[in-house]
Amino acid sequence: MIHAEQLSRFYGEYKAVSGLSFHVRRGEVMGLLGPNGAGKSTTMKILTCFLPPSSGQASIDGVSLEDAMGVRRRVGYLPENAPSYADLDVRTYLTFTGRMHDIPAATLNDRIGEMGRVCGLGAVMHRRIDELSKGYRQRVGLAASMLHDPPCLILDEPTTGLDPNQIVEIRHLIRRLGEKKTVLLSSHVLPEVEAACDRMMIIDNGRLQVIGTAHELARQAQGGAIVHVRMTGDAEAAAEVVRKSLADVEIVISEEDGVSRLTLSHPDHDARLAEAMFHAAVKSDGVILEMRPEKATLEDVFRRLTGASS
Amino acid sequence: MRRVLTLCWKEWRIAMDTPMGYVVATAFLLASGFFFGNNLFLIGQADMRGYFSILPLLLMFFIPAMAMRILADEQRGGTFELLATMPVRTLDIVLGKYLAVLVQVTVLLAFTLAYPASLSLLGNVDGGQVAASYIAALLLAAAYVAICLYASSLTHHAIIAYVIGFGMLLALFLLAQAAPTFSPAVQDWIAVTSPLTHYQYMLRGVIGLDDVALLVAVGGVFLALTWFQLERRRWR
Repeated sequence: MIHAEQLSRFYGEYKAVSGLSFHVRRGEVMGLLGPNGAGKSTTMKILTCFLPPSSGQASIDGVSLEDAMGVRRRVGYLPENAPSYADLDVRTYLTFTGRMHDIPAATLNDRIGEMGRVCGLGAVMHRRIDELSKGYRQRVGLAASMLHDPPCLILDEPTTGLDPNQIVEIRHLIRRLGEKKTVLLSSHVLPEVEAACDRMMIIDNGRLQVIGTAHELARQAQGGAIVHVRMTGDAEAAAEVVRKSLADVEIVISEEDGVSRLTLSHPDHDARLAEAMFHAAVKSDGVILEMRPEKATLEDVFRRLTGASS
Repeated sequence: MRRVLTLCWKEWRIAMDTPMGYVVATAFLLASGFFFGNNLFLIGQADMRGYFSILPLLLMFFIPAMAMRILADEQRGGTFELLATMPVRTLDIVLGKYLAVLVQVTVLLAFTLAYPASLSLLGNVDGGQVAASYIAALLLAAAYVAICLYASSLTHHAIIAYVIGFGMLLALFLLAQAAPTFSPAVQDWIAVTSPLTHYQYMLRGVIGLDDVALLVAVGGVFLALTWFQLERRRWR
């Protein structure tokens, strides 16, 4: 659906985006993560045909960026901070957006009503936009971006400045939309992206660092498998059994109040460390009190991949 | 064309929904009425010549005020990004914005039709000359609006757009005023290129093709400059 190849954009000498290639599948919600100034907004501006790339190419729904009008018809775009005309009321603003997108007059009112319902704007339809709270303005922007029913939505930080309830609402909304549309959204709120997106990519200094599901990303960051164990009984014996059944395993043992703490690590993420430990404890008559595989969180991944600039 | 009218309609709604439009309109009509009444009651001339000779000065102050926010605000508020990512040509944006201001100026000028109407109650008004003067005023306003639209495209700040627009109009005015102090060659050149001299020719009641052509050309040049300015910030 969204296909980018070697996209680069320079602002003078400054490289905002360099050599960015990725693919977003149809009907997928893709998160674009990165620290401030990583090139998230620039990438989105290129994909919406607001800025030309310095080099590289991309296509949306099979339409190359060269055909700017075609791309603009297929993309709904919510720029950062959801700009809109503060002096207009919501309905007038949506009518304006609809007419600019050439929605026939006969269906425009229905579309506005429908988007108003989807985005929860019913109560504020006739209020001026500058009287609305940040959350409502964000929803107005979202409604405007979806008015012409584009197959692809590009949302630049759709949840900044919202309170936790609104964030959950917008996240549900995006999830619901993601069933029918392809969504590319940027954010630097990690749990946000984890909850709303099917896959995500992390960029830093304009370069793609990693792309995949939250699970894949975490695995990649962690490298191997790590399991923490607390047990009573003969820890040394159990450790020996594990060492015999699994090559390359490293075990560190410490004692505390008669309880042994073991940390098992293995370079292969798919090594069945926990299973081996369980069997070993049974064989050596030990009792496992606690066993916890260590998981790298998205925060760890993010910090590791973007450490250089943050 | 439909998008041009839609943009125009949006600007009209904003002008009608904000005090700014009314303040400028009221101030213009007050100033305009003062200069008209000044001629009529103090000097005792029941004609429009005095009013139309002062009108370029009024337009010089008020048109920059009406056009200043038209593009500057879009860029400041980030809405230009929305506008630019709609399926609309840059030319449509320029024309829509231009037409929006021109319509507002035309409406204000239409209000001043009350002056010749009231004069015709007092005596004989040279209808042809007044009509020619209105056409001249409209053409001059059209050129001024294009200049101020360009000024508004140069900056993110409406006030700076006002100062630039006013400065350019003032320069035109001063150049026309100072013409006699220059060498004859320069004088000729100013006579040919200054919108104000051509405006004054038309006030005599004769609409010359060269006068119309020059004012339209000035408007066209600044619309083209505006187009370049926007195109530079946008992609195709």
